[in-house]
Amino acid sequence: MSRENDGFVFHRGLLQAVLDVVYRAINFFVTWDHLPTLLGAANLSVFRDRLRAHNLHHTGYGTTSPGWSPGNDRWRSADGSFNNLDHPRMGMAGARFGRNFPLPECVPDSVDDLLEPSPREISEELLARDQFIPATSLNLLAAAWIQFETHNWFSHGVPESGNEFKIPLKAGDEWPKEERIGGYMKIRRTVRDETSRESWLGAAPTFRNLNSHWWDAGQIYGSDRARQMQIRSGVDGKIEIGNDGMLPADPVHPGADLTGFNDNWWVGLSLLHNLFAREHNVICDGLKTRYPTWIDEELFQRARLINGALIAKIHTIEWTPGILGHPALDFSMHANWSGIPYRVLRAVLGKNSEAAYGIIGSPTEQHSAPYAMTEEFTAVYRLHPLIPDDMDVRRLDAAEVEHCKLVDMQGGVSRKFMETRGFANLMYSFGTAHPGAIRLHNYPNFLRQFTKDGQPLLDVAAIDIMRDRERGVPRYNRFRELVGKKRVKTFEEITSIPDAARKMRAIYKGDVDRVDLMVGLLAEDLPDGFGFSDTAFRIFILMASRRLKSDRFFTDDYRAEVYTNFGLDWVHKNGMKSVLLRHVPQLGPALEGVNNAFAPWNVLRG
Amino acid sequence: MALILSIPGLVRVALVRDPDELLRVNNAGRVARSLSGRGGLFNRSVAAKLAVFRTPDGDIWPAFRDRHDPLRAAHQATLESALSDVEPLLQRIAPEIAELGNYIRDGHAHRSMGVVVQQAIGRLFFADYIASEESYAAARTLQAWLSAWPLRAYWIRRSGALKASLDRIEATSRGNMACAHATALAMGNIVKSIDLMRELVLRGDSLAKIEPQDALLRTLRAPARVVREARDGDCVGLIRLRSRTLVLLAVEDARQQRASDPGFAFFADAWNRCPAHSIVPALLIEVWRAARTNKKHSATGTPPQGGRPKSQPP
Repeated sequence: MSRENDGFVFHRGLLQAVLDVVYRAINFFVTWDHLPTLLGAANLSVFRDRLRAHNLHHTGYGTTSPGWSPGNDRWRSADGSFNNLDHPRMGMAGARFGRNFPLPECVPDSVDDLLEPSPREISEELLARDQFIPATSLNLLAAAWIQFETHNWFSHGVPESGNEFKIPLKAGDEWPKEERIGGYMKIRRTVRDETSRESWLGAAPTFRNLNSHWWDAGQIYGSDRARQMQIRSGVDGKIEIGNDGMLPADPVHPGADLTGFNDNWWVGLSLLHNLFAREHNVICDGLKTRYPTWIDEELFQRARLINGALIAKIHTIEWTPGILGHPALDFSMHANWSGIPYRVLRAVLGKNSEAAYGIIGSPTEQHSAPYAMTEEFTAVYRLHPLIPDDMDVRRLDAAEVEHCKLVDMQGGVSRKFMETRGFANLMYSFGTAHPGAIRLHNYPNFLRQFTKDGQPLLDVAAIDIMRDRERGVPRYNRFRELVGKKRVKTFEEITSIPDAARKMRAIYKGDVDRVDLMVGLLAEDLPDGFGFSDTAFRIFILMASRRLKSDRFFTDDYRAEVYTNFGLDWVHKNGMKSVLLRHVPQLGPALEGVNNAFAPWNVLRG
Repeated sequence: MALILSIPGLVRVALVRDPDELLRVNNAGRVARSLSGRGGLFNRSVAAKLAVFRTPDGDIWPAFRDRHDPLRAAHQATLESALSDVEPLLQRIAPEIAELGNYIRDGHAHRSMGVVVQQAIGRLFFADYIASEESYAAARTLQAWLSAWPLRAYWIRRSGALKASLDRIEATSRGNMACAHATALAMGNIVKSIDLMRELVLRGDSLAKIEPQDALLRTLRAPARVVREARDGDCVGLIRLRSRTLVLLAVEDARQQRASDPGFAFFADAWNRCPAHSIVPALLIEVWRAARTNKKHSATGTPPQGGRPKSQPP
């Protein structure tokens, strides 16, 4: 195998090359977010091309070739194999995470530096939530949604004991005595990649994604055939639903619903899984009416394709503009899905232009590396500050408000909580509550001392810091440089959050190059309307398009022969609001006048 | 004290000559072997020069593997173990040692001295390794590539000489990257040492007076410069390295300040210890000894094992 990204090369067109030069000049004076909408959107497209050329790096597949199954050509395989028919291992479950940076840049620090500064100290001093900072432009479904999606895209697996990191604790640290080992806090390591390493990998560590890398709604349908068969009813292609209209309980995962991927389960995930399981079944009904001869398998797989595409659409043109509220971004995300709304420009750019007609239905393209989720992508999606420590649970039929702690809505008690409060009431409550802002000093405190079955007591904030370090994700300043932004020279250049620069300087001993990625992303001053940092957004620009552009089922095979005309029409006409209203019609008044289902809904009483 | 030069867009470089500083920088956690090419045009051109030292399937030559690369450590340990049994290895290359001894004493040889050195080194890896004028020319081309100014470097690449040389070296090394490195790049220092021994002999009766160990200390040569990059800003001792500074370790300059310690040339106490740190000094000592003897061995016409007289067709 060639080291050169398995033979994939990015080909830049003349127009792209010209625009690249032009925008380098423009950006010398003006950043993209201060440009008029159309120019700003074009600027984002230029960034994306640069990133496609330089920021996709292959790490090998780490899996053996899968066997062919009938139907792999027409619908998604359970494990994501054969999405690319020439490279069947690409993006399949168990394949390695790729990288957004050249492999020599993705080498973890030596042992001495790896624990410096202490992630526990960062958790205590920079991340701990003093007072809840709400993201007032969003509702709590937006927080649940991104976890719902990341469960589709990646999982490093559950860390096992042995050879843990030993994090020193300062005198006076309140970490429970019984959880300390020799005075240290323990953090388990990421599950190792035991497959044989290619010699060209150098010192870059590799890890495997247990989920399929594709945007295939694997969180609902699972990433292997056995799991897929478990969740199915076996009748008319439908997902198994209990008599109460809810997903059944997972017998091996107490408190969680039986679904494709139910790790880190809580009520927020349960809401979305139930919602889209219902959606799947409605799609099956629609297909059955139109294609009465189709067997269970055919109905299930076609409905999966349609449901998955609808979820991808909601994420692209509703969730993303919801959390990144900038007109250029809004324009770009709609262009990603359905193209630009200008006929003349469309004609000029041509039929195959993804800018003109959208990525959906355009030719499949891997650009400079085989498709894979990347470690850097997982790093920028550490968005735990979105989670509040507590929330108001409302009722649709009464004004009363119950104040509940999030910790009582997760893990083993999730189903019980759902049963007692009701699906519709909880959906309404999530729609009317705010998530946390993705900022320093807003990390949910219950996650900083979190009990999870089969795990030692967790400080998830400290773990987040350690994960980036152990996986060789560059620290903040080098990360900036590698995504095409200037390095900062002072802490004040990163943040204007009061007192944050001083605290960071003290913790990082004045060395701005040591600032951890997550700390920098949470501290960074944001472009107008943005919910997370511009640095994280650079990875997002690249990967959001890539999830669509690399996937045969969103590009070459996004056609009626695969989806059916009914399916294409379903994806085209529906959105989050219509899905909500179809399955929870009681939400009508709460959603009235709400343009984006991830924006706060109307509070009906009180 | 290190010399630091930074011209935005052109160059960001630090030249380290002091032996203690050099070792500290070499051991610094944020100073890496792999070069990103960032920091200026000069940095980019140096990175581009080193980037060619990969096999067609992307395997990295051992001397360019990063500190934490598990394969680097494994290769280093394996090779060091293979080269540590010095006596049998020296016996294996006795014909080449004798030939080099004759060259030092008499100043002439039946083929280029560099070819003999290349063959001696190659046979440390493969007993039947055969060097030729062509393989030595390939090594010279690669050495020239590393030190060439931009125009010459352009020509070496453009003319195809670079690719041809890499192919030849990798072919004669049978895909063994350590052998490729030793017979293409590292051998340049041994050739210099042999030349210095010859110069020493020309000065009076040095051959009789100078003991082999002293001859070694006077002629051993280290690489002129070893290249590193500071990925992030760092203070190493008194040197403040900015991020993406190209660090030039002037190993030979530093070694001359530590002339009594032959191990310095091989980073003998560092993580990047050269696996040949025992065999090369032993080889040079043996060459000097061979030169001191009056025997004229096989070098006068009898080909060494695996070699051939210059008059024979290849």
